[in-house]
Amino acid sequence: MAKATTTGAEGSALLRWIATSGLLLVVAVPCLFIIIQAIFPDIGSGSLAAPFSLFFRTLSDPDLFGLAGNTLLLGVGTVFFAALFAVPLAALRALFKVPGAIIWDALLLIPFMIPPYIAALGWIMTLQPHGYMEQVTGINLAGLIFSVPGIMIIMGLNTFSVVYFVLSRTFETIGARYSDVGRVFGAGQWRSFWRITFPLAMPGLAASLLLVFAMSIEEYGTPAALGRRIGFDVLVTGIENRISEWPIDLPGSATLSLVLVGMALVAFMIQRWLLTRRDYRIVSGKPQASDKRALGLWAVPVSLYFGFITFLATGLPILAILATALSRTISGGLTAENMGMDNFNELLGKGSEGLVALGNSLALGVSTALLAGLLGAITAYSVVKGRGRFRLVLDALSITPNSLPGVVVAVGIILAWNQPWLPITPYNTPFILLLAYICILLPQPVRYATASLHQLGDNLESAARVSGSGPLKAFIRIIFPLILPSMVTSMILVFAVASRELVASLLVAPIGFQTIAVYIWTQFDQGSAGLGMAMAFCAIMITTLIPLGLIGLLRWLSKGQVAGLN
Amino acid sequence: MTNSSQTALSIHSISMSYGANKVLDGIDVSLEAGKVLGLLGPSGCGKTTLLRLVSGLLLPDEGIIEIAGRAVAAPAKGIALPPEQRGLGMVFQDYALWPHMSVAKNVAFPLEMQRRSGAECRDRVAKALDRVGLGAMAERRPSDLSGGQQQRVAIARAIVAEPPLVLFDEPLSNLDRELRECMVEELSDLVADLNLSAVYVTHDHGEALTLADHVAVMRGGKIEQLACPDELVSNPATVAVADFLRLGCLLPADRNGDGWQVEGTSVRLPDGPVASAKSTLLLPERAMRLGSEGPAQFKARVLRAQTRSTGHALTLGIEGTNHLIRLVSAQRARIGDLIDISYSPEELRWFPA
Amino acid sequence: MRRLTLALTLGLMASTAAHADVTVYSAGPGALIKNLVKGFTAKTGIKANVFQATTGKVMARLEAESANPVADVVVSASWGTATSFAEKGLLLPYTSPNAETVPDFLKTDTAVAQGVAGLVIGWNTKSGTPKPTDWSDLTKPEYKDLVTLPDPAASGGTYTLVEAFTANGMTDVLEGLKDNGAIVAGANKAALNPVLQGAKAAVFAGVDYITMGAAAKGESVEAIFPESGTVVAPRPIMILKSSQNQDDAKKFVDYVLSPEGQNEVAKVHLMPSRTDIKVDRPLIGDLKLLSTEGAPSREEVLAGFKKIFN
Repeated sequence: MAKATTTGAEGSALLRWIATSGLLLVVAVPCLFIIIQAIFPDIGSGSLAAPFSLFFRTLSDPDLFGLAGNTLLLGVGTVFFAALFAVPLAALRALFKVPGAIIWDALLLIPFMIPPYIAALGWIMTLQPHGYMEQVTGINLAGLIFSVPGIMIIMGLNTFSVVYFVLSRTFETIGARYSDVGRVFGAGQWRSFWRITFPLAMPGLAASLLLVFAMSIEEYGTPAALGRRIGFDVLVTGIENRISEWPIDLPGSATLSLVLVGMALVAFMIQRWLLTRRDYRIVSGKPQASDKRALGLWAVPVSLYFGFITFLATGLPILAILATALSRTISGGLTAENMGMDNFNELLGKGSEGLVALGNSLALGVSTALLAGLLGAITAYSVVKGRGRFRLVLDALSITPNSLPGVVVAVGIILAWNQPWLPITPYNTPFILLLAYICILLPQPVRYATASLHQLGDNLESAARVSGSGPLKAFIRIIFPLILPSMVTSMILVFAVASRELVASLLVAPIGFQTIAVYIWTQFDQGSAGLGMAMAFCAIMITTLIPLGLIGLLRWLSKGQVAGLN
Repeated sequence: MTNSSQTALSIHSISMSYGANKVLDGIDVSLEAGKVLGLLGPSGCGKTTLLRLVSGLLLPDEGIIEIAGRAVAAPAKGIALPPEQRGLGMVFQDYALWPHMSVAKNVAFPLEMQRRSGAECRDRVAKALDRVGLGAMAERRPSDLSGGQQQRVAIARAIVAEPPLVLFDEPLSNLDRELRECMVEELSDLVADLNLSAVYVTHDHGEALTLADHVAVMRGGKIEQLACPDELVSNPATVAVADFLRLGCLLPADRNGDGWQVEGTSVRLPDGPVASAKSTLLLPERAMRLGSEGPAQFKARVLRAQTRSTGHALTLGIEGTNHLIRLVSAQRARIGDLIDISYSPEELRWFPA
Repeated sequence: MRRLTLALTLGLMASTAAHADVTVYSAGPGALIKNLVKGFTAKTGIKANVFQATTGKVMARLEAESANPVADVVVSASWGTATSFAEKGLLLPYTSPNAETVPDFLKTDTAVAQGVAGLVIGWNTKSGTPKPTDWSDLTKPEYKDLVTLPDPAASGGTYTLVEAFTANGMTDVLEGLKDNGAIVAGANKAALNPVLQGAKAAVFAGVDYITMGAAAKGESVEAIFPESGTVVAPRPIMILKSSQNQDDAKKFVDYVLSPEGQNEVAKVHLMPSRTDIKVDRPLIGDLKLLSTEGAPSREEVLAGFKKIFN
């Protein structure tokens, strides 16, 4: 599919049209308004006065170097810790028979579902002096958590499962086939891993680490919760501060965003380049589970190691969330008389706001997943089938939101969709949230769909065309069903993130409309941390169980034939 | 599959380039209905590109392609029908079966695209699967089948809608030798039974000679020779054709005063028809016998001898030269022996050097 | 999918219908604005829609929307926003008949205080430290490493206090805090949370109504008004000039300043701005107030603070 020659079997013009207009509407319009805002400070009131007046002032702000430097530092540190956690686990998982492997996989999916700001709060409440850890064990790790390495470790724990899943699959494929060859030729188990398996997995590792880098430099929750305490500001918090502290500096935040976009785009370009060099035939092969070695005596320490990392990444934040949710008062601590279901009762009580927020978020999450999945698949298809400049523009547009902080997307969307001359606008309706979420999350399904399109043989579509099917029908009947399994995976991810998105939701949520994250935030704002945490716990459970149930159902329906879900 | 039009496919001066690289250069070929055209050549000769041009998966830079009398591609007139409007069947090298559909669904797809009724579909799919011997596999997934079975499904899919022209793109090259030989025969029967008009691309001359009524031997984007299999074997048009079909030993010859001899040696050759001073000579394998009974002889030394199921495969060096001859003989020969080879001069083919 | 479409359509209809109603952008507390809107609708039959966020987010949204303003009424937690909006000519002059008993320093032509917050020391009663009575107590060794304070850049209240300290030459207290290991911890809630769990003993420059609210929920925390005086943060309510719905917006302001409205204000432990509403908590008249007269500009105040705490 990658070949772009003069072909009689052009992709569907309708799909191309949908992809182009979809991307323009969802991505290009808000981006354009951010750039305009950075240049024309008064665009909000419809004036083009004083162009660039604030643009250069922000760029020459001495703070900028500090912010950019901290951002880089945080990105690199997070990548380091993510690799440290993920590589040994992935190698063990892929090359050996780890007891309960499927369960570890399922548990390691949960960090995706925990909102980072909630996880950070959980960590703080556990590790700070008189925190849950001190209440249980008598010691606290305040010195560790309120430090730059502490932020990196926590962000590493939040993100390493991305690396783990990519890498264990890569190792699985390579390990069985190639490292055995190395062993036949006399390399020991370790040497064969380091000399053959690991180098072959490098592109996959590098690509996933770059993704972690991009994720960490645009992450808001953790640096905001932890960094602020120690005066460690990064670009995203700088942007957020300019937007949320009086006096508001929209042009400044737009300018800083452009810096951040630049950094993330470089990371993504490198990742792209690595991925195009990567040999898909190696990576796309089916995992050969049968070749895994037994761990023997090592089964116990390895299981303990898996247990430890999983506990840090999943168990501890969830326990802290649950502990807070069950506490009647925070100052009451972990005592029996302070525990109760009060918060859950209030949250899930009949006709409560919490239930409405849950319903809203789930509906939005599902619609975002479906629409972003569909638009992502169509976009990836159009990019893969496209040629020349058109392809380049579409490709660039589809990855841009990856590097845009949610709050900037939100401002861009308000600027774009609240223009007085628009005859109809989704602004101030739930559809504006849908637009924002699709914009922020579109790169996920595009990435998954592109990878899986590259793995489809050219002739599958050709065969359909020769058999008399038009391009649209060939997409619907052949291409889409074949990439669906990996689309489902990405849509689950989109669902999980969309149903808990906070930063953009806070700003663009239509008047009087609550989502899970806005509800949680409001509770914290009113000092009802317990109620907020109860909602967070329910949301994590729901966003974890719905996809797991869905995967189980799909597996059952397809009797194990849908690849890519394990 | 009978067609009122006499011509199933006609290709007029088709050219095609990838950038500066001319892949096809002025191809002219046509095919009567009910016949099979083989496109034969080494990889990179343009045969697959030509097939994709016919299928519509590629568009030519210039020229005209007509299928069953209808122009499907003619850049000069702005005609460029997409594949789906050409009414073809096609079998791909990698089978290209859709993994998410059952065998029956795969085969039914072309009929579905023609909006045939469900009952008709079922009926014709069953017939097509029966014809390739897979009637019992209809509900299986393609991934549950062996390579040969998958290729049969692909063939069933290509013929189910009874298209006026079926395209085969190296359909057997992914199968192992034994299966390939067996499939060639099956295919040959199928083509004859259904009276198919087909274009068959292959790099295996055995397949082409067995299946095709006419074979176009291609090289460097051009057709070297277009002929029926007998003619190709007995009268190769160029050195390249003779070489590609492995018809026998190609020897450089020059005229030296009173007669011809192998270039740079004193091995004498019978008189040739060529007027020039130099020539390349084809000594066909089937013209050669061990022994000295024939009308002309030369001596050769046995360099290698292998036992085959069909006899002894000998590699011989023409004595006094480093030219090699390969032939299969019923007689055994020992390595190092100097033996007589006889041949009939009228079977020699002379090409201008 | 059908439920989803239904939910979205309903949401769409609800918010399109919203254009005819009063739209209020309000800084926290959420419970207050919710109850105010409920009471307003019950009394007048006019519907009101609310966007509730921090002052910063409310302002950001107003700014981004300035080409096509959506809000009719804005409630902010920072009096400075009212002054700045008035200077830009964004506000509709209106003096509510119910504002008669609001002291003059809590009202202008274009804005009036909805309620007033005071700045306090929020002290954890179970922290094992002596109960502080004045700001300077927190610089004592007993509170070493046990004090947090909100960032004045993020908290309007803290800013006003720092401003007053600067104006009255009391910045030595801030220096003492820094030397005593106090940390600057984000906005108001982020500063209070470690005090609730006991990680810290006290929040310097806590907001009184938040601390009192936590205490009312059963948290072991107490709001202490320091002896040397404090500052208050009036929360302006204002009507945007761009409002298409000015009559209803005025009615909303009237309601907020009515005895019912002011009682709702009191319920969330804010001081009512009307002096004739009786509440069981220290009121403005009971407090010793520090003046901010003679303070330098915002940039300078923040720069001075940053110099101490970096």
